[in-house]
Amino acid sequence: MAELKEITRKLKEIHEKIKAEIPWEPIGHTPMPEIPDLRNWDMKLLQTYKPFYAPFCDLCCFCTYGKCDLTEDCRGACGIDIATQQARFVLLACLMGCSAHASHAGHILDVLIEKHGPDKKINLGTSVELEAPNIRTVLGLKPETLGDLKVAIEYVYKEIAHLLDSTHMGQEGSCLDYESKSLHAGMLDHVGMEVGDIAQIVGFNYPTSVADTPLVDLGWNSVDKTKPIICFIGHNPATSTVVVDYLQENNLYDKVELCGVCCTALETTRYSARAKVIGPFSRQLFFLRSGIADVIMTDEQCIRTDMPQEATKAGSALIAALDKAMYGLEDATDMDTDEIVKKMVEEKKHFAILDPKKAAEVATKVAMAIAPHRKKQWITEQEATELAKKCSMCGMCEQACPNLFDIGRGISEVAKGNYDVIREIFNLCVGCGKCEEICPRHLPIFKIMQVGASKETWKVRTGRGPIMDTEIRTVGAPITLGTIPGVVALVGCSNFPDIRDLAEIVDEFARRKYIVVVSGCTAMAVGMWKDADGKTVYEKYPGDFDAGCVVNVGSCVANSHISGAAIKIANIFAALPLRGNYEVMADYVLNRVGAVGIAWGAYSQKAASIATGFNRLGVPVILGPHSSKYRRLYLSRKDEDEWKVMDARKRQIVETNEPSPEHLAYVCETKEKAMVMIPKLCIRKNDTPQGRAIKLNHYISLYKKYMGGGLPEDLPLYVRRDADIPLVYKKEVKAYLTQIGWKPKEPVGLPTLIGTYPTKVPVDSVIH
Amino acid sequence: MSQLAPSLPFHRVNILTGTRTARLVEDPVEYAKQIAKAQRPLLVLGPRLLKITLGGKLLLEYALEIAKTKNIPICATATVKSKMVELGVQPDSVYDVVEIINALKDPNWKGVRKEGNHDLVLFFGFRTDLGEQGLSVLKHFAPHLKTMTMCKYYYPHADFSLPNIRKDEQWKNILEGIIENLKKE
Repeated sequence: MAELKEITRKLKEIHEKIKAEIPWEPIGHTPMPEIPDLRNWDMKLLQTYKPFYAPFCDLCCFCTYGKCDLTEDCRGACGIDIATQQARFVLLACLMGCSAHASHAGHILDVLIEKHGPDKKINLGTSVELEAPNIRTVLGLKPETLGDLKVAIEYVYKEIAHLLDSTHMGQEGSCLDYESKSLHAGMLDHVGMEVGDIAQIVGFNYPTSVADTPLVDLGWNSVDKTKPIICFIGHNPATSTVVVDYLQENNLYDKVELCGVCCTALETTRYSARAKVIGPFSRQLFFLRSGIADVIMTDEQCIRTDMPQEATKAGSALIAALDKAMYGLEDATDMDTDEIVKKMVEEKKHFAILDPKKAAEVATKVAMAIAPHRKKQWITEQEATELAKKCSMCGMCEQACPNLFDIGRGISEVAKGNYDVIREIFNLCVGCGKCEEICPRHLPIFKIMQVGASKETWKVRTGRGPIMDTEIRTVGAPITLGTIPGVVALVGCSNFPDIRDLAEIVDEFARRKYIVVVSGCTAMAVGMWKDADGKTVYEKYPGDFDAGCVVNVGSCVANSHISGAAIKIANIFAALPLRGNYEVMADYVLNRVGAVGIAWGAYSQKAASIATGFNRLGVPVILGPHSSKYRRLYLSRKDEDEWKVMDARKRQIVETNEPSPEHLAYVCETKEKAMVMIPKLCIRKNDTPQGRAIKLNHYISLYKKYMGGGLPEDLPLYVRRDADIPLVYKKEVKAYLTQIGWKPKEPVGLPTLIGTYPTKVPVDSVIH
Repeated sequence: MSQLAPSLPFHRVNILTGTRTARLVEDPVEYAKQIAKAQRPLLVLGPRLLKITLGGKLLLEYALEIAKTKNIPICATATVKSKMVELGVQPDSVYDVVEIINALKDPNWKGVRKEGNHDLVLFFGFRTDLGEQGLSVLKHFAPHLKTMTMCKYYYPHADFSLPNIRKDEQWKNILEGIIENLKKE
């Protein structure tokens, strides 16, 4: 009885928060879900896509009972085993990522509520009525104002606290339950990101309901070095937008150059198309050490922790503009502006300034004061050669390089006057600086690398925010039927095995009429390549969410628009209610929306949580080789596992023997392998014969192109009937199928996992 | 600065993994003996074999020679199959590296020749970071098999590993020594 009362009280509370009385849609089974509410869905996923753990360390050193050796079947003092410890670590990573976005969203929301008031209406333009698909699906709330977004972010905060609690010593003892919690954290991350980006679009008047956003300059050479230069680094535009305002208000807009590294760069271009994008995180240290920036303004996430030391070395001034990273600097928020400027110019002091207006004024004044006296010269080839002659060829730099490059060879070639090798290494460099750190001769390797740095400039399309409802109406049918072969989303950071891979993947799939979506550092990296006609992928392909187009949704937090687009297909095209109806949305995406994420250079905890959020929603993710260090993948074994679904029309559980999608989180070593996995992971059981034939046509043709000919070994698993066989390979495929004794099978009319595991959701819910 | 101990991995991102580390073997005779002792060995080949030449010969060719001596089945990962076929050899199976490791974890898996799971798995031609992570999976979750590496770097998570080898000539001699001794075994 007491339990029932508690449930009733909780439900009442939830209904109040989500304004249940407004009947825009019926409320589903899991509004504002807590940890156990979607556990059965997770367990169903984990039954097929089992966690694959690659321990990075055999030990646990979280508590004073340790270090505990967990090798093989050893357990720690608390009883934990190696698999559960990995799962716990992954949950912690997801929570760090989710917290970073949620905290960013909460901060920016507070700033914008302060500026516009809580009743500021959410208006994302005439083409976006379904403004917050993640918030509506997860919470059951239709946010109408900035104030409504507070409800969503407070829900995320609360859940994060519960999840973090579970990682404390001596609690959760199941790796699968930890995985369910990671999936929960990933889902919350997409809510947090959505809050952040909606708030920014509304509060900063970013572009929305438009596909053809401006093309802005990309690359350090696009920066006008004759002007004072302010460089923003991080993710949160709370300060950079105020700097733009300050320059405009004081008629300095054309006199000061604004640029950025990482997501704040993308955010700033959404506010002012005059700002320049230096590049992804991998270019951060290189750019800092070039000394081009007069003033560096940091905010949060993916900013180096040794920023004051680096700024001092380069002679740049530093302002830490957010409390996330204050670097031990004096907090000058309450200090007199002129006094701060004086100390920064004359004493070369760095400060934390947490008032954006004051920070903007100080940054501008300091940049204008110090710029005329600073040298911004690149090293000459002759200077580089002289420096490189000190290299003793000890090989330590190669040993320290996480991307396994033989940097010493590049340096020794510079010493001989050959700059080709260092140019190649520079292009591939992930910018960690470990080589320079370990060099026993203290060679300024990054400085020497300047001779190899490309002086080219490129273009990147400004982030456009949400996918329009009108676009979903156009592409919903072709995506779910398979005639648009898939949505390929390239997301995440810049720890690439080879930065050129990104643009090649984008070009390959845009040419093949997939819908290609990009975000974050990847959105910048794909712009850093030109075709034979001198065009970047942004100049080559339109920015619509349609076949053969390349959409830049924006920064990290804009990833929520990619998951949002998948949900919109289920809601707008298939007319399935989304309100508090997560399982139905995820089931639809998993079985019917041919979408795949590629986080080729993922390094951050944010990337871990974003990807895990996509996984819970039923979107598989391909990761680059470094990501094996995340410790966990979700892999199926296509020959061994069951591939049963419910045919909702017939109300029968059927064994399809079709591993689609084959994996949920998968690492591959080479671009070539990724090229082949992408079309395969876009295959869905719902494909029509025509759609399946198109998808298999790409799978076979990419296999032939990148695997050296022949047919994919697992092709028979994906051919249901003759009509699925692409015309152009009909003869070859039929001969092969006959040879191995392939038998046709009946496609499933309406595939769903609902009805195959314990859930409150009735099968009727998936029929539209 | 202190000298790196020989039993630390070459690419230092993998260091300090735990308490159990690979047995470092420099003698090709001993390596060949270990391979010959195995009932159902498996050779898993990675894409670096297509990029590196040793003594004018593609590294893949050394791998194929090792396989040939004892009819060791081959699992081709990434893009290895195409070059193998070009060299006139069909792999026994094609998986990507995480997929074959996932299968090897299962003691009841039938192996690439359906004769039972393998008891010794030789890895050759992978990035050290991905390779080391894959070996970690098998170290913890596949006590039913042993692992061995043929690359010129020390892999702590393997059961048997070659040392860090600075000179390619030395590596070549070890590989040729393994091949010669396998022929004799």
